[in-house]
Amino acid sequence: MRLVYSLLIFCSVMLASTSSELEHEFSTSKEETLFDPLSGYNEVMTSFNDGVYEYVLKPISQSYAYVMPKPARESIDNAFDNLLFPIRFINNLLQLKVQNSFEELGRFVINSTLGIAGFIDVASSEFGLKKHDEDFGQTLGFYGLGSGFHVVLPLLGPSNIRDIVGLVGDTWANPLSYIESRNANLLDSSEEEFILKGIKGVNFTSLHVEEYDALKKDAIELYPFIRNFYESRRTKLISE
Amino acid sequence: MKYFLTSLVSLLVLTTSLQALQETDISTFMRTNIDIATGVLRDASIPKAEKAPKIFAMFDPVFDYVLMAKLSLGGKQWEGMGVENQERFVKVFEAKLKQSYMEKLDLYTDEKIVIKNSEKIKDARIHLTTHLMRNSEVYEIIYKFYKDKNNEWLIYDVDILGVSIIQTYRTQFADILTKESFEQLLTKLK
Repeated sequence: MRLVYSLLIFCSVMLASTSSELEHEFSTSKEETLFDPLSGYNEVMTSFNDGVYEYVLKPISQSYAYVMPKPARESIDNAFDNLLFPIRFINNLLQLKVQNSFEELGRFVINSTLGIAGFIDVASSEFGLKKHDEDFGQTLGFYGLGSGFHVVLPLLGPSNIRDIVGLVGDTWANPLSYIESRNANLLDSSEEEFILKGIKGVNFTSLHVEEYDALKKDAIELYPFIRNFYESRRTKLISE
Repeated sequence: MKYFLTSLVSLLVLTTSLQALQETDISTFMRTNIDIATGVLRDASIPKAEKAPKIFAMFDPVFDYVLMAKLSLGGKQWEGMGVENQERFVKVFEAKLKQSYMEKLDLYTDEKIVIKNSEKIKDARIHLTTHLMRNSEVYEIIYKFYKDKNNEWLIYDVDILGVSIIQTYRTQFADILTKESFEQLLTKLK
């Protein structure tokens, strides 16, 4: 009898030690010890952005999807992606991912020509050249810069100090930032830039509404859910 | 007492024979069952409502739902809430996990899932990396196993695209519990 009891105690001790070890694995993780001084503002901005998504972006994207067939939207998405080549190329190089940057260069050349201005991603379907997404925020992380605290940007969504700095670099390397009207426009207007970036956003959203909605359904509390998702995802992308 | 002992022993034997996932079996078990599961998903002759229960029946033995619930809530909260509440919470939490999984199944079209590698992180931890391929995109899903007291391997967390499911619930539960009561948390989960 005593044997059984000691066995049971032994088992429970064993169980306790594994589970406290596992507890430790989560309680010391980066997301858990996150410093979030802007949490009040972030929470409000998250609901604002969510409102914009639900009542503006989503309905527009869905009506757009209704008139524009999916293959066309995918081609448009490809074309925008192709235009963003400089961001990926520069950041792959900056992170010394030379092989990847060459693949990106190859993709750009092939898709811009054979792929008809980037509308068809022949580089990946015919040549097996895959896209290597890298941005300036990831490059800063690659060189060891910490994320800083979490900041939710109006319309742009979740970010952090490091990625906001990175965003400056991305905007600089983004060809869409330099688009101007062809007619003699004396006033320097950024209207075209916003319109193009808007179309890009609507087109992209129209292809991912289902996924985003499915993801959002999992949220019990939206702000910590999105914050955790964003920060974990970025950490993962930087480690790759 | 004798009855108690026999039932304890038979329970142990039964659970061992049902699960008994050994270290060397992890990859094979997962590969076989993932293949069967994708087969079930693709099979148009199986009614939609029957698909999820079929898949759960295959994977339930290797998921440690109690531990997952405990880790999501955090040790401190868990210890202080009493057995009855723990049981209530596990029930609701498991249902929530399954509900969320079933919603994901609706998005499934004909993606392939392959096992990439199995890595022994520590003596009692194994990470099984799988890739879900959709068109030209690859989504990484990592199943995290731990070795329990019977030397069997069970899943305690799943990483999707680098986002841990348990961590996601943990941050949310912690946030809710700073503002609201446990009962309100349960209501939100339902």
